[in-house]
Amino acid sequence: MALAAQEPETIWKPTIEELENRPVVIEVDHLDWSFGSRQVLFDVSMKVHEGEIMVIMGGSGSGKTTLLRHLVGLMPPVGDKIKLLGQDIGHLKPMKKLELRRKIGVAFQFGALFSSMNVAENVKLPLRELAHLDEKTMDIMARLKLEVVNMSGFGNLMPAELSGGMVKRASIARAIVMDPKLVFLDEPSSGLDPIVSSALDDLILRLREAMGISVVVVTHDVESAFKIGDRITVLDRGHILACERPDQIRVNPNERVQNLINRRSEHVEVDPEEYLRRLAGD
Amino acid sequence: MAAVLRFFDAIGRRTARGFDEWGFGASLLAESIVWVFIGRFYRQPVRFTHTFAEMMRFGIAALPISMLLAATIGLMLAIQSLYSLGLFGAQNFAYIGIALSVTREFSPLIMGILIAGRSGSAIAARLATMTINQEVDALQVMGINPVRFLVAPMLIALVVMLPCLAMLANLISIGAAALYVSASLDKSIGSYIYDTLQILKADDVWHGIIKSSFFGLLIGLIGVMNGASVTGGAEGVGRVTTRAVVQAITAIVVSDMVIGYLSTH
Repeated sequence: MALAAQEPETIWKPTIEELENRPVVIEVDHLDWSFGSRQVLFDVSMKVHEGEIMVIMGGSGSGKTTLLRHLVGLMPPVGDKIKLLGQDIGHLKPMKKLELRRKIGVAFQFGALFSSMNVAENVKLPLRELAHLDEKTMDIMARLKLEVVNMSGFGNLMPAELSGGMVKRASIARAIVMDPKLVFLDEPSSGLDPIVSSALDDLILRLREAMGISVVVVTHDVESAFKIGDRITVLDRGHILACERPDQIRVNPNERVQNLINRRSEHVEVDPEEYLRRLAGD
Repeated sequence: MAAVLRFFDAIGRRTARGFDEWGFGASLLAESIVWVFIGRFYRQPVRFTHTFAEMMRFGIAALPISMLLAATIGLMLAIQSLYSLGLFGAQNFAYIGIALSVTREFSPLIMGILIAGRSGSAIAARLATMTINQEVDALQVMGINPVRFLVAPMLIALVVMLPCLAMLANLISIGAAALYVSASLDKSIGSYIYDTLQILKADDVWHGIIKSSFFGLLIGLIGVMNGASVTGGAEGVGRVTTRAVVQAITAIVVSDMVIGYLSTH
């Protein structure tokens, strides 16, 4: 039965105590990062445990995508700062890095499905290139994963023929086809209507339950973050403001955290003279 | 003073960017060669099916237009040769100029320019769109090397197919010229072809083949370099596509001149 089709009230969530007794699968240690002279990450540290769903939440420009790109190894390596599955990705040799990448799955914000391949071929791609299985086994595995994300029967469609929600689900199917230990989801609910978005949240919870994977979700969708996150890391202008359970985040005294979760715009005091100087270009 | 400084600053930046781009191109070439030879040992071979698909796209699909151009070039050369040599009453020697210029110059050059416009732009546009849609990032995070998966098959296809097109263009051009010259000079086609084969040496044909392979490599590298460096969405795709075609044609014409000079001195 498709995981996405199951009733949401049966979804299991581990307690924080349970999670903290499990091994750490992601460790970020005092990470700083700049694009030229503009610093975007300041002393970022976090840990994700096995089987945990960690939500990284923040507004636009908060540095969450940069942090995600560091975690999945798409940024230049920084030594001794990031460990995935116990391995320091800053010091890995290329072949070891390739091996590690087979243990992680990433679903990008806009799916990043290959437009020249149909959905089934997209899902089969990692198997074809990395697992060296026969065609029949690959077909079965791809169908299985498409069934998991409630996409069975859509394998022959091209990405251009899919709705936004279907693209996200197909992308998740491709991310989990190698049975990874870690899955990263970039803005899974962006651009989706609330019903599809909620179904996708349920799917993420089901995936964790069924496969025991650790999931890192980058989002600015507050509702989704509270629904799926075991812990939520709030990033603001490159600083981690909080990394707590959803119920703790709700009562966090930090004004910026409250602004973010209650969708309040920030009140900025403007000095009139400074404002005029800025307009004049001084 | 400030304007002069800005001028030199701009020149310096452009030069540095040029070196950066060609360094990137050289690293792409080196990485592609490495994957072709060692990929199999790491169970990550450059796929023959991908390479074959690219060969079909860059070579076979371009056959009708390239052969039409080749025939036109042959006819044009025959017309001009008969006219210019006719001034000295030497029309009977037209086959020499036609045979040598077609095999050594026109076939590689015209096929190179045609494929630069047709496939160089397609490579740049495809790579740029894939980069913008994060498809290249997706390959990387899956542990699939983008150079092995995307770049190496394209380079192999161009290096193999451009000489094939040039060889075929030799036949079509000389055939078309033979038709025109034989009709104009009341000479048999068989006799024209015999004379042409007498004057052509293997070196002349090899010269064209090697040059076409080099042009294929240039077209591929320039397309990939531009496609991979895209910024700025759909507008960026258009910009790098145009840039790839202009750069590829310029590189082909300039390198053709250099190779021509070196091979005759």
